[in-house]
Amino acid sequence: MTISNLNLVGTLPLLFLSAWACGLLLVDLWIPGDRKHMTGWMALSGFAITFFWVSSNLGQREEAFGGMLAIDGFSNLLHLVFLGSGILATLLALNYLKQHDIERGEFYPLMLFSVVGMMIMSMAKDLIVVFLALEMLSIPLYVLVGFARTRADSEESALKYFLLGAFSSAFQVYGIALIYGATQATGFAAIGDAVAISGASPLLLAGIGLMLVGLAFKVSAVPLHMWTPDVYQGAPSVVTGFMSVGAKAAGFAAIVRIFFSAFHSLAADWAPVIVLFAVLSTVIGNVAAISQTSIKRMLAFSSIAHAGYVFVAIVPGGYGALSDFAASAVIFYLAAYGLTNIGAWSVVIAVDHADGMGSDISNYAGLARRSPGLAAAMTLFMLSLTGLPPTMGFVAKFYVFRAALAAGYTWLVVVGVVTVLISAYYYLRVIVVMWMNSGDGQVVTPRALNFTVGVTAAATLVLGLLPGPLMAIVESSVRGLF
Amino acid sequence: MIPTTYYLALSAILFSIGVIGVLVRRNAIVIFMSIELMLNSANLAFVAFAREFGTLDGQLMVFFVMTVAAAEVAVGLALIVAIFRSKASIDVDAVNLLKG
Amino acid sequence: MEAVSAAQIIFIVVALLTVATTFLVVTVRNLIHAALWLVATLFGIAVIFVLLDAGFMATVQIVLYIGAIAILIVFAVMLTRRVMQDVGPQSNENWWLGTIVAAVFFAAISTLLWSIRWPALPGAVVGDTVLALGRSLVDPNQYVIPFEVASVMLIIALIGSITLALPGKQSE
Repeated sequence: MTISNLNLVGTLPLLFLSAWACGLLLVDLWIPGDRKHMTGWMALSGFAITFFWVSSNLGQREEAFGGMLAIDGFSNLLHLVFLGSGILATLLALNYLKQHDIERGEFYPLMLFSVVGMMIMSMAKDLIVVFLALEMLSIPLYVLVGFARTRADSEESALKYFLLGAFSSAFQVYGIALIYGATQATGFAAIGDAVAISGASPLLLAGIGLMLVGLAFKVSAVPLHMWTPDVYQGAPSVVTGFMSVGAKAAGFAAIVRIFFSAFHSLAADWAPVIVLFAVLSTVIGNVAAISQTSIKRMLAFSSIAHAGYVFVAIVPGGYGALSDFAASAVIFYLAAYGLTNIGAWSVVIAVDHADGMGSDISNYAGLARRSPGLAAAMTLFMLSLTGLPPTMGFVAKFYVFRAALAAGYTWLVVVGVVTVLISAYYYLRVIVVMWMNSGDGQVVTPRALNFTVGVTAAATLVLGLLPGPLMAIVESSVRGLF
Repeated sequence: MIPTTYYLALSAILFSIGVIGVLVRRNAIVIFMSIELMLNSANLAFVAFAREFGTLDGQLMVFFVMTVAAAEVAVGLALIVAIFRSKASIDVDAVNLLKG
Repeated sequence: MEAVSAAQIIFIVVALLTVATTFLVVTVRNLIHAALWLVATLFGIAVIFVLLDAGFMATVQIVLYIGAIAILIVFAVMLTRRVMQDVGPQSNENWWLGTIVAAVFFAAISTLLWSIRWPALPGAVVGDTVLALGRSLVDPNQYVIPFEVASVMLIIALIGSITLALPGKQSE
């Protein structure tokens, strides 16, 4: 019972970012209303400092706060995903908020707090911390989704997201209560021990199922996906880009940690449920995306489908030696999806600005002539979301399917490949519209947006051609964790 | 003494009524109250388990669940009031809650 | 079979009343009435907490849930008053589906609960609860991080709700 059990040193990046967010709330009070982008730049520097801090020390293996938090390669790599999406979304927000006349200083601290919640979620080794971290990342998101108060659909989607989010977290709490009742514990290690002794009781399985409801909602897996299209469409696009990556990655981080450590010995019981989520999400997400005419709704259904592919990667996690492989595949896939998706959303933001109601796929007609750079980047993103070479999305899908094959789920991989072919139809349609059709209207892109598109496009391409080094880093950081 | 099962049965009943409220009613505030009922029934289960095991951990969970409920109520009601101001309706059919 | 004790009678009466008030919360048309029935439900749960030797939690339940949350809800109802006169249908068209889902859920959980045979109740009373609860919230080996996360979350909720509810600057 000493203060050193807190391991404050190990959690310094996390503490730094939360302190930065609290500080920013105060500093923002002295920043005049027409210069709120300064708050944005300060948030950006907070993200950047934390990003480099975390990346300088990827290989840690520590515990903090009496074993309730783990600081290891898995959490550190995911921190980079969260912080990266925070950095890119903040860059986009600098101009977006001003152009939509919703620039207010609170936006940036809320984003920082949400990232802190995500970071805690990926470190959590106790169900109560998972629950609190989930709320900590969600509450700012509810507010951010409703941030565009000049548009009614923003507030409505915020209410929808909030009510369904609170509903699913009530299921999650009840699930945690039942797990506590079955194992007398909420810590993953203690639950794992209890499960190893007593095996799976119906009470425990019911608890796991209810808890999974809350997490599957956050990652928008079918059948808990109904909110996704409306919320992605109604929320300010910067927030959508941010939450479609960050919140999803955080949800999967918790799922991986819970199922690979606490319930590892129950793999035979939970694997079929995960397989079900994988099949439903990939099939329904991709099929529903075909008929969408709004690019925002299309990307929303695409994000549902991508949640399904991540579930494909989680399935092998129950097969002893394959857990590390599965966890690496999850991280790599989330990183690839994150880069590509934020890139795609920044193109959406750019086109949206140009045409007013520019979220229709037909608005992309002739983009190649109007703005060749943007069109080339969007082509790359669409290829990557489909999973075609030479992009990072291809490598990530390959990685995921290889993990599932190693566990003997050949049929699941077949389903995956078929759904990829289905998805090619609607992703490639965007490319065709951009390059083949003609349209008019000038696209003006601010410098920060160009930078974001450039960075994500370059990363998607480079990591698609040379995935080796990143893969090696991911695999060595995760080795032996699960 | 009252068996723990009775308490858990009570919590299951309250939880199910809460679920009905969320799925059936159209008014956002009633839906929100139903969610509070669900959280409360989870709390009841936590306290019942805590007594059963003779530990305090379950009661601490209740503490945190209540904090979360307080945070949610603040944000949720702010949202509801904000929407009411701009639309003068908090009927979730107007908000299309369950339509994808 | 021992004689029915006072605690059992209290439990049965309070449990029945709580179920009844809960049912009223989700069925009555008037929002203010629903909020008041919610207060009654919360109070019933507080009594159950006392029966479960969780006196402190019962106090917190009354102070926090009834004193803060339920009152906030009443405020929200009053701020959105016109809706109370809504005469349209109070349930959505999928009400039967929702009821079936909840009924199936309840059937599953209750069969599950009845199948569990708990060991005889331990007489373990955990001494001074308030002291122990307070200690474990600041004990480095126990609940420090949830405590901190919860407090930061309250700040976020505060900022967030102000951001949402503050009138926009468009009027200038």
